[in-house]
Amino acid sequence: MAATISPPSESFAQTAPNPLRDGLRLERMAEPCTMVICGATGDLTERKLGPALYNTLLGGFLPPEFTVVGFSRRDLTDEEFRNHLLEGINRHSRNRPAKPAIWDSFAQGIEYHRGTFDDPAAYVELARRLDRIDRDRGTAGNRLFYLAVPPNLYPGIVNQLDRAGLAASGEQRGSGAKRGWTRVIVEKPFGYDLASARALNHEIAAVFDEDQVYRIDHYLGKETVQNLAVFRFGNGLFEPIWNRRYIDSVQITVAETVGVEGRGEFYDQTGALRDIVQNHGLQLLAMFAIEPPVEFGAEDLRDEKLKVLRAVKPMRPEEVASNTVRGQYVNGWVEGQRVGAYRDEPEVAPDSETETFVALKLGIDSWRWAGVPFYIRTGKALPSRVTEIAVQFRRAPLALFSRAGVSQVDPNVLAIRVQPDEGILIRFGAKVPGQGLQIRTVNMDFRYGSSFAVDSPDAYETLLLDAMVGDASLFTRSDEVERAWAILDPMLAAWAAGEGGPLHFYGAGSWGPPAADELLERDGRAWRRP
Amino acid sequence: MTGLFEAAGEEQAAHRRLMRFGANQQPATPMWSERGTTVQAVAENLARLWDSEAHDTAAAAGTTSVAEKGLAHARASVLNLIVLVVDDAAADRVVSTLVDLGVRHPSRAIVLVPDQGSEAESIDARISTHCHAASGGGDRVCCEEVVVAVRGEAAGHLSGIVSPLLIHDLPTHVWWPGDPPFRDPIFDQVVELGDRVLVDSADFGDLAAGLRRIAGLRRQSGVGDLSWERISWWQELTAQFFDARRFRRYLPNLSRLLIRYAAAPDTDVAAPMSQALLYAGWIATRLGWRRHRTVEPLADGGFRLTLEGKHEMVDLVIRPEPTDIHRPGDLVSVRLRSLGETGAGEFIIDRRGEDAAVATNADGMTALLRLVPMDAPSEAELLSSQLALDVVDPVYEDALRAASILLASAREPAA
Repeated sequence: MAATISPPSESFAQTAPNPLRDGLRLERMAEPCTMVICGATGDLTERKLGPALYNTLLGGFLPPEFTVVGFSRRDLTDEEFRNHLLEGINRHSRNRPAKPAIWDSFAQGIEYHRGTFDDPAAYVELARRLDRIDRDRGTAGNRLFYLAVPPNLYPGIVNQLDRAGLAASGEQRGSGAKRGWTRVIVEKPFGYDLASARALNHEIAAVFDEDQVYRIDHYLGKETVQNLAVFRFGNGLFEPIWNRRYIDSVQITVAETVGVEGRGEFYDQTGALRDIVQNHGLQLLAMFAIEPPVEFGAEDLRDEKLKVLRAVKPMRPEEVASNTVRGQYVNGWVEGQRVGAYRDEPEVAPDSETETFVALKLGIDSWRWAGVPFYIRTGKALPSRVTEIAVQFRRAPLALFSRAGVSQVDPNVLAIRVQPDEGILIRFGAKVPGQGLQIRTVNMDFRYGSSFAVDSPDAYETLLLDAMVGDASLFTRSDEVERAWAILDPMLAAWAAGEGGPLHFYGAGSWGPPAADELLERDGRAWRRP
Repeated sequence: MTGLFEAAGEEQAAHRRLMRFGANQQPATPMWSERGTTVQAVAENLARLWDSEAHDTAAAAGTTSVAEKGLAHARASVLNLIVLVVDDAAADRVVSTLVDLGVRHPSRAIVLVPDQGSEAESIDARISTHCHAASGGGDRVCCEEVVVAVRGEAAGHLSGIVSPLLIHDLPTHVWWPGDPPFRDPIFDQVVELGDRVLVDSADFGDLAAGLRRIAGLRRQSGVGDLSWERISWWQELTAQFFDARRFRRYLPNLSRLLIRYAAAPDTDVAAPMSQALLYAGWIATRLGWRRHRTVEPLADGGFRLTLEGKHEMVDLVIRPEPTDIHRPGDLVSVRLRSLGETGAGEFIIDRRGEDAAVATNADGMTALLRLVPMDAPSEAELLSSQLALDVVDPVYEDALRAASILLASAREPAA
């Protein structure tokens, strides 16, 4: 036996990686940093951000130096703000209630900064506070700003951050002095149409470099969406048939059972197309249809998504009426509950023309997808809450079993379910056992939950940690956002001009207006009942 | 927890950990069992289990249902697990543990109870199944256990019995709870059946020999050790000290590592030292420390060595700490001291019940102190984490070899 214990690495200067980190289970540890939540007393902080931080802490992903600064207008003490976060965790976290000793220790690193977002002095004070935190808690000048505020406040906040010297990042701008990184997370909706999205991007770009900006689409944080890439590029079986030669059509469904839930004012100005299709719908489409990226990194992945979106040809004004269906729910029943009409919701105009349902037919003009229709539908007050992508394959070329009385076998379907019950279903024909030849469709149903019964992290946990680690793969880039708006703009314009076809009504608890079914029937297809 | 250890006699020491498996659980209700059966009969019954027909039989017998809504249950499996135990009672305890395990690893487990010494030649087998509703509802995760008691000469030829019962094309793990018979040819034979071997070095009767033997095993997917899994959170917390760049410079100047591990008070049974040794071996290999001399040889579960660090000589001290709060062998506290360029630094992890206090005293700053969760994971959880891995862990292998060297040094007289 050798007398020495083999040394694994030669040197570990301060800049060298931590030799003890080598081979450990948790590879994605956040760097020491301060997270500043602008709009810290709002709903998002309480329901999502607080619980996500707490669960990330329990998982061991947050370093001891990690510090939270809540920034808002309300007059709160540090203690009151901590309690506000704690209540949110105790109500909404997947691990709850918070363990008192652990929370008390974590809460020492939580502060509250009171100020209005248009007051320059508040930012100067914030800068001082952050410098102090860097010194006292060792956060090394790394700062993550989370804009949990309505989008109309983004430009103002971003400008104020810049003026207070809080926007520069050591990563990108190399200001000479050694300093940490600065990143900013913004929430959807990102713009209202192409022009407003461009204006917003422009204002943010005047202050932050694109690689400092993290635009959250929480759908991309979901396991299945990430699994979509693994499913396609990690398996040799599916990629060869992932094209126009074998795929007949694709349906993307994002169905909600809820109505507008007190967000009437916001929703009435937004509608289903902007609220869901612009981000979740088109992101799912892009993730489904991308070409293999050179590497599974942020820029390559987003380049490929952008290529897909660029290949989606915007409709000409006269095409809108025949390729889109918009609907609005009237009273009905959902999950055994009576639901009133959309126009009767508080803060909704009694003659509102806003769509709560939309069905679209899009095409991707690329070598791989030319001629394959992509149908997207989304709506509120639908019969079940489900998000899925269903791929219908072409039929077998010959009705080989017709002599035995089987005229046509149903086409194969592959359904990728994003929520609930994340999983993948394959439908194929099988012979019914017995003397005759009878063919029945069977489902092969794979659920992630039944193979890996592990608590998946909430999308916000994944995304917050990604932002702290500096991995932007699952965030949307400005060019993607603008391209998505460019696809939708002609529809919005045609509808606004009254040329995009009528607004159809559907009973709450139905799968949308009959016109949505007709959209597919014209092509000899039908919506899946998910 | 203490009562168990007071009762543990010398002959039970090797299996003391195993005794706690599923202490409060009933063994699974068998769906099929037969004395004096054949391997073929077991295989046929396994295949039939998931038919809807079997569902009806099971329902009639009032046992666990494996089918839903009259449809054959769609089932995902991720691995085979072969477990070796010494007797029927141990088999029951293992099956109870596997019930918990199935939640994360839908698998087929084959629990073997070999008895080569028996006069009679026979195979007894029983099959049980479990389905768990996964969290969030809806999904069900299913697993099955086959317990096969093999008596007589056939017990020396287990591979022919196990192979037909495995689900093909899935990774196979061999778990050997307790003190494996390293010198018995049956050990090599069973280890050959798996891609990965799982042991718990805390249960080795002869720790030095066991560590050497495990370090010499070459399996495609490596070796797992539940004791290594137990210290993984300690490793994580330790690494976190030095994730901060300003503290990283203390690493080359570490001059003292003090590790305390729990020992049951008032008992002659020595607490297993493997966690403390593996932790020390891990730090030593990551930081490139070399053996230098023995200061205090091993006595009463403690020892002291001088190691040669990068810039400093390192004082390594391992001590048992009498406590009945923690499981014997579990780490209780770790202290790393450094003579940094700007002064001394100390990095401390102290276990306090279900939490741990983690403190840094360095840079002349006020101590950074925080509390983090430190739950003692159950055996099922440890096993579950280890089963999720299917690659050789070079960090473990390095630590294991170092632990073996440290233990050998500790047994030498002081120099």
